Amino acid sequence: MLFNSLAFLIFFPVVTLLYFLLPHKFRWFLLLAASCFFYMFFKPEYILILAFTIVIDYFAGILLENEPDKIRRKKYLVMSLIANIGVLAVFKYYNFINSNITGIALLFGCKNHLPFLNWLLPIGLSFHTFQAMSYTIEVYRGNQKAERHFGIYALYVMFYPQLVAGPIERPQNMIHQFYAKHKFDYNNAVNGLNLIAYGLFKKIVIADRLSVYVNQVYNNLDYANTLSTLIGVCFFSIQIYCDFSGYSDIARGTAKFMGYDLMVNFNRPYLSKTIAEFWARWHISLSTWFRDYLYIPLGGNRTGKWKWYRNLLIVFLLSGLWHGANWTFVIWGALHGFYLIFGLLTKNIRGSFIRFTGIEKLKGLYTFINQSVIFILVTFAWIFFRAENLHKAKAVINNLTQCDFSYNLNQLTMQKGPLNFILSFFVLGLLWLSYLLPANLKMKHNLLFLAITTFIIIILGKNGEAEFIYFQF
Amino acid sequence: MEKQNSYTSSFKEFLFKILLPLFLIVGAAGLIFNYFFEKKIILKSQVSGAYKVNRILTETYPDEIPIFGSSRAEMGIIPDSLGHDYFNYGLYGTHYDVTLFFLEQECKKIKKRPWIILNLDLDGIEIALDDISNYIYNAHDPAVRELLGKEYKPYFSIPFIRYFGRFENIYRSYLTDKVAVSKIVDKGAAIEKQVIPQKEFDKLVAERIGTLQVFGINPDLKKKLFYIITTHPERVFVFVIAPYHPCCFQGYNFDAVNDFMKLLRSYKNVKVFDFSRLPLPDNMFFNTTHINYSGAVEYNHYLKDSLMQMGVH
Repeated sequence: MLFNSLAFLIFFPVVTLLYFLLPHKFRWFLLLAASCFFYMFFKPEYILILAFTIVIDYFAGILLENEPDKIRRKKYLVMSLIANIGVLAVFKYYNFINSNITGIALLFGCKNHLPFLNWLLPIGLSFHTFQAMSYTIEVYRGNQKAERHFGIYALYVMFYPQLVAGPIERPQNMIHQFYAKHKFDYNNAVNGLNLIAYGLFKKIVIADRLSVYVNQVYNNLDYANTLSTLIGVCFFSIQIYCDFSGYSDIARGTAKFMGYDLMVNFNRPYLSKTIAEFWARWHISLSTWFRDYLYIPLGGNRTGKWKWYRNLLIVFLLSGLWHGANWTFVIWGALHGFYLIFGLLTKNIRGSFIRFTGIEKLKGLYTFINQSVIFILVTFAWIFFRAENLHKAKAVINNLTQCDFSYNLNQLTMQKGPLNFILSFFVLGLLWLSYLLPANLKMKHNLLFLAITTFIIIILGKNGEAEFIYFQF
Repeated sequence: MEKQNSYTSSFKEFLFKILLPLFLIVGAAGLIFNYFFEKKIILKSQVSGAYKVNRILTETYPDEIPIFGSSRAEMGIIPDSLGHDYFNYGLYGTHYDVTLFFLEQECKKIKKRPWIILNLDLDGIEIALDDISNYIYNAHDPAVRELLGKEYKPYFSIPFIRYFGRFENIYRSYLTDKVAVSKIVDKGAAIEKQVIPQKEFDKLVAERIGTLQVFGINPDLKKKLFYIITTHPERVFVFVIAPYHPCCFQGYNFDAVNDFMKLLRSYKNVKVFDFSRLPLPDNMFFNTTHINYSGAVEYNHYLKDSLMQMGVH
C-alpha cells in the first residue's frame, strides 16, 4: 500500500482507531495483521519470502542466545546471514551476476547457459532483510536479548510504517516499544500528524512535481540541451531527497501517532558542508547500519591510512550495490567513496589554501561555497543513480559538457509547458520556506501548519499515486 | 479511572483543538477557493475542456455551427476564419467516444442552422477520454457520468477535493486563453504558433516512419454514430480530415478509411472532405500529425471554400 494513496487514507485512521480501542495485549496482533495487509496490498505472494526470513532469524536468535560455545554461535550467525543474503542474492542480484557472467563468457568466446529469472523484486526486500540481519547480529553481540514472542519478533521486521522503505531500525530501539503500553497522547498525535502532512507535501507537491521534468529530460536526452539537462539533474537531487525523506517522515508520523519512536532518517542533508557530514544526514539508518556492521568490524579508521581508505571504499561500493543490481549504482557508491578519500587526502592542502585566502572569516560565504560544492558533487553522483544504464549516464554528462545554452522555450520547459516549469521552481521555494520550521516539527501553531500544508497539497499536489523511488530497493 | 480520564481528555483535546478545526478551516477555505476557481477560471476559459463540456451541456446558441473532434480539430480549425458563428469544441487527446458525447448533446438542441463539423482522424473511431479534469465540473450530469464509466470516482462530487491534482490542467487552459504565449486562441481553438526547426522536425519524421497507422473502428461507436446520423435527418454532418504529414502514410491502410468514407457518403445528410493529403511544407506542421498556425490558415482556406460550395453560410 502506498502512503500517498486513497487506500492508506482509510487504512491509517481505521488501524489507529482500532489500536487505541483494543486492550494492550491484543495490539501486537492488530499491528501484525495490519502490517501483513499493508504488505500484501502490493503483491500478496511475496509475504512468503518475508515469512521465511522471519522464521529463520527468530530461531537463529534463540539458538544464538542459548548456545554458550563461541564457534557454534558464530556458525548460527553465519547461517542466519547466509539465509538473509541468499534471499537478496536470488531475488535482487542473480540476474545481474548472470548477465555479467554472460558478458565475461562472451569475451572468451564461450556461452553462458544459466537461465535468467523472470521474477519481480519483492518490495522493500533490502530494507527488511537488513533490519532482520541487525537483529541476529545484535543478539550475537549480546546487545539484545533473543525475542521469545514470535508475534513481537515478526512485528519488529514487519511494522508497517517502516516495512518497505525504512528507517532500518535496530532491535534495541524497537522491540521494547512493542511491549510498552501506549495511550493516546495529544502531543504524539499532533507531532505525528505534522510529520505525515510534511512528508506528503514533500512527496506529492515537490518530488512528484519535479519528476515530470526529470523524467522528460532522462527520457529525451537527444532533445535536451545543456541548460535543460542541468536543471533536470539538479531537480533530481531534490526529487530523490523529497521522495525518500518524505516517505521517512510519513513513516515516523504514523508510528509517532500510535506512540512509537522511529529513528530520524534525514536531517536536511543538502545543508552539509562536507561529504562525511552529508552521510551523517542522508539515509542515517543505512549509513549507521554499514558503520556498525561493516565499517567498524573491518577496522574503521583505527587501522593504517590505506586500510582506512580501503574500508571506506568497500563500504560505499556495497552501499551502491545495496541500492540496486546495476553498475550505475556501483559507480554511484564508488564516487562517494572517492569523494571521501579525496577529501581526506587533500585535507591539509585545502586547510592551507583556506587559511591563505582568509575566506573562512566570511562565515556566510564560506558556508555557502562549501554547501554548493557538496551539492554539486552529490548531484553529479546522482546522474549514475538515476540513469538506467551507463550509456544514458554518459549521454547526460555529454549534454552537460557540450555547453549548449541556446534559448528555446520548448527545450527549456522540456515540452511540459511553462506552467509546470514555473511551478517546479515555486515548490522549491516552498521547500526552502519549510526549512524555517523546526526540524522535528514540534511547534506552537500546529493547526495553522496543518491547514496550510493540507491546502497546498490539495491545490499543488500531483494526483497519480506515484510510487516512492526507494521501493525498488 | 484517572488514567482513562487523561486518555479521553487527551483525545478530546486532539479532536477539538486540531481535527475538527482543521476540517472546518480547510473546508471553508476550500469552498471559497472552489467557488472562484469554477466561476472565474473554468467558466472564463473558452479553450479549457471543462468549459467546452459545460457549454455543450448547458448553453444553446441557435446560430452556432459546432466543430467537434480531437486535437486535430482543436489545433487545426480556426472558427473565425470560417465565419462568425463557429465554435471549436475540439478536445486534445480525446477520441470518438467524446466526440459522440458532444454530438449527442448537440443533436438534442433546436438549432437554426443544420451543420455540424466533425473532425475524423486517420486512426479511426476509437475510445480515449484523456484528461479527466475536463469532465469533473459536470460530473453530476448523467451523460457525463455515463461517458466517464469506470473513471468516475465518488469524490468527484466533493467540492474542492474533486480537483485534487487537476487544478493545474484547468489553470493551464485558462492561461493559454488569457496569455497565449505560444498559441493562437479563437473560440475554443488553440493553435500552435511556433515553427519547428527543420532539424527537429526531421527527427519527428524519422520517428514516425515505420510506425504503421491503422484505421480502427470500435463497433459500438460506429453503431452509435450511424444511429445519430439516421435519427437526425434534419442535421447535416460534415466530416473533415485534417492534413497529415506525408510520412504518416507509409504503410497506412487507406482501403479501410476509403471504405468508411464511402459508407459515410452513402447517407444523404453527410458530407466528407478529405484534406489529409493537402500538400503543405514542413514549416506548416507542429509535428507529423498536427499543423501549426500557418498550416491551419492554409487548411482553413480550403475548408471554407468547400463549406461555401455546399452552401454553408
